[in-house]
Amino acid sequence: MSKRTMFLLGLIAALTLISVAAQSQDAKLLSAAKKEGGKAVAYGSLETETLEPVQKAFEKKTGIKVEYWRASGTKVMDRALSEFRAGRPLYDVVITNRNPMVLMKEAGLFTRYESASWKGFTPDVMDDFFGPAYRYNVFGILYNSKLIKPADVPKSLEDILKPQYKGKVVISDPTQHTTIIEWFANLHKIMGKERAEKFVRDLAAAKPLMVESFLPAARRAVTGETPIATGFLKWVYTFSKREGAPLDYLREPSYLGEGHFVALGSKAPHPNAGKAFLDFFLSREGVQMIAEEGEFVPLKGLGPKVPGSENWKVVEMDLLSGAEIKKKRNEYKKLFFGS
Amino acid sequence: MNDKNAVAARAPLLIRWAFPLEGLSQPFNWFVIGLIGVLGFLALYPSAFLFYGSLVDAPLGVPGHYTLKNYADAFLDLEAYQLMFTSFVFGIGASGFSVVLALILSWITIRTNAPCRKLFELTAIIPNIFPPLLIAISWVLLLNPSNGLINVVLTQVFGLEAAPFNVYSVPGLIFVEGLILTPLAFLIIAAALKSMDPALEESAKTLGSSEIGVATRITFPLMRPAILAAFTLNFVRAIESFDTPAIVALPARIDVFTTKIFREAVGSFPANHNLAAAYGVGLLGIALIFVYLYRRFTSQIENFSTVTGKGFRPHQIDLGKWRYAASSAALLLLVVMVVFPFVMLTLTSIMPYYQVPTTETWQTLTTKHYEYILQNERVYRAFGNSLFLATVGASICMLLASLTAYVTVKTKIKARGVLEGLVFIPWAFPGTAMAIGLLWAYVNFPLPIYATIWILLIAYVTRFIPYGLRAVTSTIVQIHKELEEASVSCGAGFYSTFRRIVFPLMRPGLFAGWIILATIYMREFSASIFLYSPASEPLGPLLYYLYIDAMHGPMAALGIVISIVCIGLIAVAQHFSRWDAK
Repeated sequence: MSKRTMFLLGLIAALTLISVAAQSQDAKLLSAAKKEGGKAVAYGSLETETLEPVQKAFEKKTGIKVEYWRASGTKVMDRALSEFRAGRPLYDVVITNRNPMVLMKEAGLFTRYESASWKGFTPDVMDDFFGPAYRYNVFGILYNSKLIKPADVPKSLEDILKPQYKGKVVISDPTQHTTIIEWFANLHKIMGKERAEKFVRDLAAAKPLMVESFLPAARRAVTGETPIATGFLKWVYTFSKREGAPLDYLREPSYLGEGHFVALGSKAPHPNAGKAFLDFFLSREGVQMIAEEGEFVPLKGLGPKVPGSENWKVVEMDLLSGAEIKKKRNEYKKLFFGS
Repeated sequence: MNDKNAVAARAPLLIRWAFPLEGLSQPFNWFVIGLIGVLGFLALYPSAFLFYGSLVDAPLGVPGHYTLKNYADAFLDLEAYQLMFTSFVFGIGASGFSVVLALILSWITIRTNAPCRKLFELTAIIPNIFPPLLIAISWVLLLNPSNGLINVVLTQVFGLEAAPFNVYSVPGLIFVEGLILTPLAFLIIAAALKSMDPALEESAKTLGSSEIGVATRITFPLMRPAILAAFTLNFVRAIESFDTPAIVALPARIDVFTTKIFREAVGSFPANHNLAAAYGVGLLGIALIFVYLYRRFTSQIENFSTVTGKGFRPHQIDLGKWRYAASSAALLLLVVMVVFPFVMLTLTSIMPYYQVPTTETWQTLTTKHYEYILQNERVYRAFGNSLFLATVGASICMLLASLTAYVTVKTKIKARGVLEGLVFIPWAFPGTAMAIGLLWAYVNFPLPIYATIWILLIAYVTRFIPYGLRAVTSTIVQIHKELEEASVSCGAGFYSTFRRIVFPLMRPGLFAGWIILATIYMREFSASIFLYSPASEPLGPLLYYLYIDAMHGPMAALGIVISIVCIGLIAVAQHFSRWDAK
């Protein structure tokens, strides 16, 4: 037997052992999860429609039920913190964007769980505690392509402030929507400090229509009430797929983005079910289902389905502390509400 | 009445401090003590948590110190008073508008011979089955200045340069909230009109007064307490409402006090529940003043209901040829209050995505939003939860309300005021603040009810007893004492008299209240949002998340289905109550 053959046989044997070990590990986890009651509870801001395929596939594969409570990142944090402090955490897994995840981690809500699925991600998307960002929300300007003709499409962020768009822009309220606070506060990373500050000031002076968060803003762009909106670029795909709605986005040299993470509760009532769900959620199979819904996931070959996304340059937003968010919020309150 | 029952009915037994043991020997006393115990627990347990939370500097579960800082942050801010003023204007406008609409409708449907008046009576009830969130969204689609359907039509028909209406304004806010509040005002005013003794009006007519003279000099002065009661109740509801200001006022940067509470405390990052509790307690003080006024006015209504237990029919005015004008006015209200929102919801539910309808729209109509909700397991679960909460919750609420009404109307015991106060305390808190109190109270309750459907049931019953109480009080006040005395003299005890005499006579009011409560519970939102878990999700939060996930098609389809189910519930309840025959 040649050395090469021996090496190959050895490799096959090692891989088989690893696979058997992994399978027995999975079986052990699932058996423990079933003994806990056969269900996992997840709180998150990931849209229900996006999670649903993953949830159903996991339930079919393992027989473990997933109960999902969906709210905005702020409300997810609020509820998880309230339950944790009262000593009655009901969640096993939390799924939301980085800022609230970090604040919850600092309050002791999570335990580090290094899932076998982490191996599928590249180091640049990894966080030491949470592991991979399973998706990125990429922010930009959306517009109704039926109402804004190609020749009139704004070419830059500043273009949406031109008189011709007066009364046609909708944004989410920066005094109650944390993500737009982060977006405004990070614009300097793609525009430069002076341009970014001027843009926010001028936007406030233009008195755009204000709604509670990004999705109601995008909806108003679709209905045509205000054809230009701030929002996530993935909705160009999702709105088109679900409704055939005419949304497109402003092409910019670079875009701001923010990672979404998932973590296991430190006092999870069903820790094994939570781990099993987290393993599946971060597996290629799970992430692929999320990508199918139009999400921007950082796995090779699963690029976003939005036209032109292959050329996106995405700059990650800086993390803001609770105090920084409060300060920025007060600053924007003065700008947009005049008090 | 024998001696024992006479004591039971009249003596302030709970408070008969001089003869405590004698008092406790009566079954009726135990009943009153039990009732006060149940209502006291429901009202005071979460309220105490809310008071406590407003006085400490740390969230529940974290060791903190007593402080007045939350009150200082909430009420040393000048902006709070400016917003209170805006809320005040909004409250007066919306409740005034709702009372005017309710008065017109109830007068036409109950006191005139206008054609189709039974149909118009539904005008005042049906809007109650539309979730307020959807009514507000419908009016945004109709009256927004950019492409609101009414504005588009009027601009095109009359060649106007600018949209004539702008829903994003204080008048727009008042208009939408006024429409939402009208059914409750109608319930109060219509009940008073139906129970009014016709003798006074007949005397005026005999003395030569015209129909208009009777209406202006007799009917409306007699109605004044009911009008003021409806006004104060709706005023409190308006200043505490959050849904309509969030959808209609925010786009125009109009802030009211409840949006400030949300912005500064509940929806801030991170949320500050202690500050929200301080705001809630502050608003409670204001609301309780109006609750006191409301109770004064309603007790006056009861004094004017000079009914002796003998059957009567309210005096009906022959409008002559004007009866068609009256029907036209009622029809216009029907169109504004029912047809417009219903058409907008239907359009949104059958278009792939809502846009201003054109001739091409008809080719794209779809049933996919209905298919989505009919195939969605989550929708079925939410329907199951809400139907349970509506039927069981409304029944428990009406049981407590009828027992409370019996004690407060039919007895002279001193604990009456305590009972009424207990009923109104949870209602006088803003919904979101009360939900925080309920969350704090029940998250660590010895029984494992947190995040189950039972905590929602407790929340719904706790918060909405005043509505049930109003409906049932207007009926119970008409039941003359002689009927109960006859029962007692035939040997029946308190429970038998209540079950066999009082309860059947209370049935119309009982079912009217049940209908109002069941329709509110079918789409309750502000308390549910803090308290539900995925397994106990009711329809209100589901509708809200379809809204924030921008799934307006499925949201509208679900709204239509909820409305149809509510109509079914009303039909069943009416069948059992024959309440419209009274």
